Amino acid sequence: MPEPQPLPHRQRWLLLTLLAQVLFIVAVAGAGYATMAYGRTITLRTTPVDPRDLMYGDHLVLNYTISRLPLNLWSEPTRPRRGTPVYVVLRPVGEAYEAVRVVAKEPAVPAEQVVLRGWVADNWRRGLRLRYGLEKYYVPEGVGKQLEKQATRHPMLVHISIAPWGQARITEAQVIK
Amino acid sequence: MSRNFLETESPKWVEQGIISAEQQQQLLKLYPPDAKAIGLLPLLGSLLVGLSALSLVAANWQGLPEFIRMTLLISALLAAYSTGEYFLRRGNQSVGIGLVGLGLLLFGAAIILTSQMYQLIGYDVTGLVAWAVAGTALTYLYGSRFLFVLTVCIGGIVQGYNTGALGAFSYATAGLTALGLGYYWWRHPDSLLGGVFAAGLLWQTGLLINFLHIKITWFFVPAMLIYAFGDWQSDRPAGRAMQGPPLAAAFLFMLGLALYGEAGSYTNLLRPPLLAYLAALVVVLLISLAGKRARGRLESATDWLLLLPGFYLPGGLPLAVAALVVLYAYTGSMLWRAHREQNEERVTLGTALFILTTMVAYFKLTWEFMDKSLFFLIGGVLLLGLSWYLRRRNAQAFPTDKNQ
Repeated sequence: MPEPQPLPHRQRWLLLTLLAQVLFIVAVAGAGYATMAYGRTITLRTTPVDPRDLMYGDHLVLNYTISRLPLNLWSEPTRPRRGTPVYVVLRPVGEAYEAVRVVAKEPAVPAEQVVLRGWVADNWRRGLRLRYGLEKYYVPEGVGKQLEKQATRHPMLVHISIAPWGQARITEAQVIK
Repeated sequence: MSRNFLETESPKWVEQGIISAEQQQQLLKLYPPDAKAIGLLPLLGSLLVGLSALSLVAANWQGLPEFIRMTLLISALLAAYSTGEYFLRRGNQSVGIGLVGLGLLLFGAAIILTSQMYQLIGYDVTGLVAWAVAGTALTYLYGSRFLFVLTVCIGGIVQGYNTGALGAFSYATAGLTALGLGYYWWRHPDSLLGGVFAAGLLWQTGLLINFLHIKITWFFVPAMLIYAFGDWQSDRPAGRAMQGPPLAAAFLFMLGLALYGEAGSYTNLLRPPLLAYLAALVVVLLISLAGKRARGRLESATDWLLLLPGFYLPGGLPLAVAALVVLYAYTGSMLWRAHREQNEERVTLGTALFILTTMVAYFKLTWEFMDKSLFFLIGGVLLLGLSWYLRRRNAQAFPTDKNQ
């Protein structure tokens, strides 16, 4: 079937666009796998945002102990602006990790400490509110109802995998009894 | 002429002897029943089948293994695009583009669902930019107005999600929709697309201003930049359509200021540093004026009267009066221009805006001093007089229309 002249050219671009979209989706999944496979797992302590209405559809909204930090952990001379990326140095305290200091440039840390990237969501006179992109936990099927019942009263422990390139994701969440 | 119209009207024509019964049949033959309506049935059928498949998948989504979920997402995406292409090849433009649009929506859904599956959602703002990129690319490839509108909407949704849920603004999304779609519109000027595009950009601008926590009047610098872009467009109706949303925003803002500016409690939110604001606005004004001059439309410079920064006056009555003066200057100049250009549509619009402004002015300036019944009486008389006067002006401006 004879095609109009510009069509093959357009077709090639169409195929490329389609391929790029498929690759992108696969890449998102790949990033998830790789973060878990190559990442270092730490545990964070979190409390429910709103105990009465914890489940927003299929996910939990998490508020970590490191989501709000006192300003004296901030080690730079100027105050951080909203939206700027920061690096939070964590060390194990008991069963979970807690923040040691917050810096603007990625620091080198001793082996027992880890660095988690976050963004300044808000700052006021004495404290910082940080966003890590870990605030939503999509609850797997079956676990949902159980978590919902338990988490209304108890704090939770969340396992986070931090990849060497800085990306982090939740791998598991459990309720402290 | 539609067949429907013929079918209902033609018996009367036969009755009145305008046409014969034979001629009626001949006429009806000229307009056969729309064959497309029949082609719609299989489409609706497949839509229902598709919906049942969708609900089946959605109900069991969490229970499916990750691999199956990924396969489902990707094959749905590929199926939508390829059937779209198939229909386009067969010349069925609307179904084809509709399916391509469905493919684009599925791409966004796939990004979101995949990132949920791997707990990556909300990690950063780059994920959803790909959605806007794909929309822009498809708009160019198919040269489709539908995909253009869809991409404007996607840009707005992505940005709303970024600022709302992630507390971040994606400059990449904003820049991409502005430049990518802006260039497309520049090359293929279109009135509808101009209006939709400008509205989409204004939405993102509003989100940015809100996100940056800066004085809300900064909004009008980018808004008027969009307006100025319309000035440079050589296709005049398309350019005007692009300028509609920014002007509407400025007008509504001024109207709000005239109504509520008196409170004075929030006037601090309105005042950026005077010199910086005026300098930025003047730069945009110059760009706009240069565009108007290049395209020979300098008379439309009166639009800029709406941007007079009356909000620097102290809060209270002076502020409200200043806002009213700005509104009157704008609507007055609009009416004057409309009469000079004999543009009936603009006369109507200008009249409506003029009356609206008068109502606000009257409400603002007299409510406190006057007895209420007197207020309504005088207000009614004033509006009646005004509409009579403007109607008379209209009649004089367009005598032929009135005589017909």
